[in-house]
Amino acid sequence: MAGLLLLFPPRLRGLLQRCWGSLERGLLPGFSGSQSPPWGPALAVQAPALLPQPVDDVAEGNEAPSLLDSILWMAAPKKRRTIEVNRCRRRNPNKLIKVKNNIDVCPECGNLKQKHVLCGYCYAKVKAETRLIRMEIGKKEGGPFNAPTVETVVLYDGENPTEKDEGKRIIERPRKRPSWFVQN
Amino acid sequence: MRLSVVAAISHGRVRRQLGLGPRSRLDLMRNLVTALVRHERIEAPWARADEMRGYAERLIDYAKLGDTNEHAMRMANFWLTEKDLIHKLFKVLAPRFQPHPGSYTRLLQIPNRDGLDRAKMAVIELKGNPFPPLIRPCRDTEKTLLNQLLKGYREDLQQAAAV
Repeated sequence: MAGLLLLFPPRLRGLLQRCWGSLERGLLPGFSGSQSPPWGPALAVQAPALLPQPVDDVAEGNEAPSLLDSILWMAAPKKRRTIEVNRCRRRNPNKLIKVKNNIDVCPECGNLKQKHVLCGYCYAKVKAETRLIRMEIGKKEGGPFNAPTVETVVLYDGENPTEKDEGKRIIERPRKRPSWFVQN
Repeated sequence: MRLSVVAAISHGRVRRQLGLGPRSRLDLMRNLVTALVRHERIEAPWARADEMRGYAERLIDYAKLGDTNEHAMRMANFWLTEKDLIHKLFKVLAPRFQPHPGSYTRLLQIPNRDGLDRAKMAVIELKGNPFPPLIRPCRDTEKTLLNQLLKGYREDLQQAAAV
């Protein structure tokens, strides 16, 4: 039987062993293999096999603890926390809001910005212009999935493509060039 | 007795968990890379943009090998879900970044998102895109207060030396 078991994969092996065990316990009075019988030790003298269980149903009646018991094992404050202790906890530096000293003035627009973050106003300006350029690109492409295989260049009113813009797709924007968008 | 399970503590773990699992994270990265190649400048949560940056730069390195390379074409086919962008990658982006040895993207932090989550957002863009620049390198002008004071001090020293 051990040889047969080795042929099967481990999961089937475990399942087979479990099925065999339940079969033995349930249906077959005899036992196979080297397993010990599941019964208790037999008595030599004619006497009842099991000793009478002590009657203690009354003691182990209530499984769920009553309200009186639960007070003993639930946490509760022993004393009122004084205002001094409360103040110490509430005003501890780790509970106070930290002061930020990384706020600066944007040199372009004068709004406040964090040192490692882009200025919100300037970014909104650039985002709006990018959106308009993308709308022009969309109109030129016509439909979805028409990405061109050449570079793109954006030209404003009264600008002509230079020799650097040879072979590039030109996007026209019908307005004056903004001062912060340098042509290169 | 150990009261906290090792699996629940994340001290020192450097890999990010994004999406629903590893496969979902790769799908997210793939979508972001496709969007970056299409639009050349996208806004995303900072963690996702940072994670995506590595994948985008490696994809461009593969594209630089040329489209006759079988491995490069398979990579581009997997990473770009919109197939017209494969042409754009090999014909536009690879020649654009040929002179550069690395770092083809720029990652900058933006003010937190306006929604309820106030997420840390970033804008990631390919260098050399046709859109207006996000940062303007400011040259020192003579008109700032500090430069005016230094100029005055220099002139005082010169006058003192001339006398």
